[in-house]
Amino acid sequence: MNRVLGDKRAILVLLGPALLVYSLVMLAPMLWSLGYTMFSGSVITGFSWAGTKNFSTLLHDPAARAALVFTLKYAVVVTVGQVAVGYLLSLLYVFFLRRASGLIRTLVFFPVVLPTVAVALLFQKFFEFAPQTGPVNSLLEALGMHGVDWFGSAGTAFVVIAVMDIWRSMGFYAVLLYAGLVDIPEEVLESARIDGASGTRLVRSIVLPLSLPVLVSSIIFSINGTLKVFDSIYALTGGGPGSGSTPLTLLMYRTSFFYGDYGYGATIAFGLTLLSLVVTLFIFRANRRDVTEA
Amino acid sequence: MISMHKRHRLVAVGVAGALTLALSACSSGSTSSSASGGSGKTAANLNFLGINENKTIAATLTTLSKNECKAENAAQPLKISNQAQGTLDQQLQLLAGQGALPQLFIAANAPSLTQQLATQGSVQDVSSALDKLGVSGDVLPAATSVIKNLYNGKDLVLPTELNIEGIWYNKKILSDNGIQVPTTWSELVAAFAKLKAAGVQPISQAGKGGDGWGVTRWVGDYIARDLGPTALQDVRDGKAKLTDAPYVAAANAIADLGKQGYFGPSPTSIDYTTALNTFLTGKAAFIYMGSWAVSDFTSATENKIGADNIGFMHFPTVDGGKGTADQMPANVGTAVAISAKDFASDTATQAWVSCIVKNYGTVALRDSGQVTGFTVGSGVTVSPLSKLVQDEIAKTTTSILWFEAYFSAKATTTSQNDGGLLASGQLSGADFMSQVQADLGS
Amino acid sequence: MTTTTVATRRGPAPARTHRSTRRHLRRIPLYILVTLLLVVMVYPLVWILLGSFKTQDEFLNNPTWALPHSFFNVSNYGDAWSSIALYLRNSVLAVFPALALVIVLGTAAGYALEVMVFRGRSRVLMVFLAGIMIPGQMILLPLFTVYFKLHLNSTLWPLIITYTATGLPLTVFMMATYFRSIPREVFEASTLDGASAIRSFWSIGFPMMRSAVFTIALVQFFFLWNDLLIALTFTTQDDLRTVQVGLLNFTGQFGTVDYGPTFAAICINMLLVLGLYIFMNQRVMRGLSAGAVKG
Repeated sequence: MNRVLGDKRAILVLLGPALLVYSLVMLAPMLWSLGYTMFSGSVITGFSWAGTKNFSTLLHDPAARAALVFTLKYAVVVTVGQVAVGYLLSLLYVFFLRRASGLIRTLVFFPVVLPTVAVALLFQKFFEFAPQTGPVNSLLEALGMHGVDWFGSAGTAFVVIAVMDIWRSMGFYAVLLYAGLVDIPEEVLESARIDGASGTRLVRSIVLPLSLPVLVSSIIFSINGTLKVFDSIYALTGGGPGSGSTPLTLLMYRTSFFYGDYGYGATIAFGLTLLSLVVTLFIFRANRRDVTEA
Repeated sequence: MISMHKRHRLVAVGVAGALTLALSACSSGSTSSSASGGSGKTAANLNFLGINENKTIAATLTTLSKNECKAENAAQPLKISNQAQGTLDQQLQLLAGQGALPQLFIAANAPSLTQQLATQGSVQDVSSALDKLGVSGDVLPAATSVIKNLYNGKDLVLPTELNIEGIWYNKKILSDNGIQVPTTWSELVAAFAKLKAAGVQPISQAGKGGDGWGVTRWVGDYIARDLGPTALQDVRDGKAKLTDAPYVAAANAIADLGKQGYFGPSPTSIDYTTALNTFLTGKAAFIYMGSWAVSDFTSATENKIGADNIGFMHFPTVDGGKGTADQMPANVGTAVAISAKDFASDTATQAWVSCIVKNYGTVALRDSGQVTGFTVGSGVTVSPLSKLVQDEIAKTTTSILWFEAYFSAKATTTSQNDGGLLASGQLSGADFMSQVQADLGS
Repeated sequence: MTTTTVATRRGPAPARTHRSTRRHLRRIPLYILVTLLLVVMVYPLVWILLGSFKTQDEFLNNPTWALPHSFFNVSNYGDAWSSIALYLRNSVLAVFPALALVIVLGTAAGYALEVMVFRGRSRVLMVFLAGIMIPGQMILLPLFTVYFKLHLNSTLWPLIITYTATGLPLTVFMMATYFRSIPREVFEASTLDGASAIRSFWSIGFPMMRSAVFTIALVQFFFLWNDLLIALTFTTQDDLRTVQVGLLNFTGQFGTVDYGPTFAAICINMLLVLGLYIFMNQRVMRGLSAGAVKG
């Protein structure tokens, strides 16, 4: 049997096309760009050899440091938010709403479908401070509080960005995790209940471990998305006020395509790729150890 | 273990890379001829790359193609495509990198990029092109001088706009509050204080993201009035730094307005449209704006205060300053550049350019009320505000450029994005200037 | 906190017929929570719908929450449709072929990497996984150059190719995970019957993955449909714009946002995708229940 499942030709047919497309369209350009990290300049001014200058610039660039801090802050807050709220929602679907959850699942999922530009427009209007008072500030004022100039400072702008990205993707993670939860056999839960497990204990000792693989996939998936956040911030704040909400991707995009320094832009992107790699491997390792210990 | 792992991956990647290179190598032989439209031959279309944010140029070119330039259009039909303004510079860089710029395109947002393209040989020198075609007389000398001022002595764009800038005011609000049109900075600030006390928002100005240029215009003009019209050239030439005390003083003057709340609540969340609307619905007394907005001022749907209720004043003088009020901030706004390669070889494109230069000014003014840097034929009737703009342009002897005109793209972005923070009083003049200077230096 | 109460409520069907009022009372906080959830999710959507009937003047000068003056102001839809029809066509032509390729190639690769036996398969999986981490911005410039040299820049091919490649890492990774959860004996048994590996993939592996395929297709669909970065870079011509890039196009002179037509365009997009989602969702659910029967 091993001979059939080890058939070289079959492996080539099954794996070859995907590997070829992926290598040609993602890996090769990635390496190509990596080569640019040794140069400065752009396609217009021409490239000149820079050696390791870009890397030393990266280490001392205050803008890059600020962008790194913002990226990490965003990635941690939004990943935790997305996955945690998504998980709570999926528990709600499976254990409370059960078969009736279809409509709610659809509604909560729906914002994922909306174009980023539209969602950003929506949140700009909802959190508006001036010249008109948006619904959120109206609500705050109705509750006797002062309205907040949400987009006026980096701190409050961050809150809106986080709320927006959690709002629009929690339904997605809920569905993803839901698919993992419904796979848990009813008998396992039944026998645990008969053993006297209930409530928090049931979730902690049965549901959580059994849904751990899909939870870890979700976290890896989420963190790689949030580390590379671009569209939503570009559309919502444009990185402002000032440069208070500029992630690494936006800095890289500006450096490469607006400031005409493709080499340094590629260096920033390379740093970001390394960061994603380290974080993913870290989560993987932590997870592996968990599984082997259990 | 690790080394084997690495080697395997490298081999796979190496193969992939070689394939990509081979693919691109195979085709590169055949591309050059068709991409450039063939040397000496004419391209199938006259391609124009416009921006979504400016409809006037595309509309005027379309009108020309149906009437005045009908013959040229038959030889080489006009084909317009548009980009969002925010992505124009990226697209131009990508296209120029492939030698694939369209014959006509909107000049880059950052003047420095257009200069780089010219150095690289992608952008046609307009003066020599017009001499060749014998139509040099159809471009106003004032426009050419503004362009040369901008591009470090080179004439790189067709002046499809010629704008002056200054402070526009709501006549009724001023008279209701007993305010004379200010001519000095201290009078202006006094007027702001009076308006604020009366519960009127003194200035409407956008400060959201890149729209912060509305605020940094105040800084630039203050510098010109205080230190003279060449003060920003001195920064470009390394004779002065933005962090020098007199420059910081200018930024502080604007930051002070911000701290007093004269820019209204939350300037960082006000975009261009909103700022204009605030002024045009009578909710603010002053707005700094270029004459391109005259089409909005004369639009009955947008303007709720009436076109004859809007006045124009020069940026006021600063006490003891070297600059004078008649030194006019002027620019060519959204201008059109010509691809050097196509112009050199394509006679149909040359005919088009010649026709545009001869007729654009008249059509743009007649149909869109747009004042351009081209000569205008007789018999075009214009609105009083357009007339005012024309008169001001005619009177201008010395023009000055905006704050970021000589900056790199990076410093421009920083300056404009920080403009909103200056107007909201969150950033001091010194901090603003040191941030911009830091990006200028690199 | 709430979930703990929820968890205990899961019981066999007969228990539900004897629900007591006390249980109902204990569920009240949850009902409130669900209602709140619905408000938070639905109100913004309704707001967009209302916005599509407003004029520019209403957007700028009336309170944000005000109702439109007239629900019969459909001129926004007229304005929007004239251009969005083309954008929709382009999006469909770019996204669906890419989606089909991603699913077929990704599932096959996932199968090969998890079910087939060969040296270095975990390494290949890691190479695919690395693709999840590559920022999209990093591959834009080289790809632009290559597409240009291949004369693909005035077609939708750059989008189809790039979408396929960027969709693969996640699909391969997730498919491999799904195949891992199926007992190996299933595939080994099928090969004992004399089926080749490829046949066993088509007749056993792929059908078994139906629910996973739909889930991933759904996920990828929304990624590709909402892509802005790639479409923005590779569509240099108006008539190749996708919906996302097209929406950016509803801005007028000097960055003026034409709110009404923009919102109408969003609504058109929203209704179409909603229809598609409801259709796909049913398939996903059917797939899930089929999986349950099999399990």
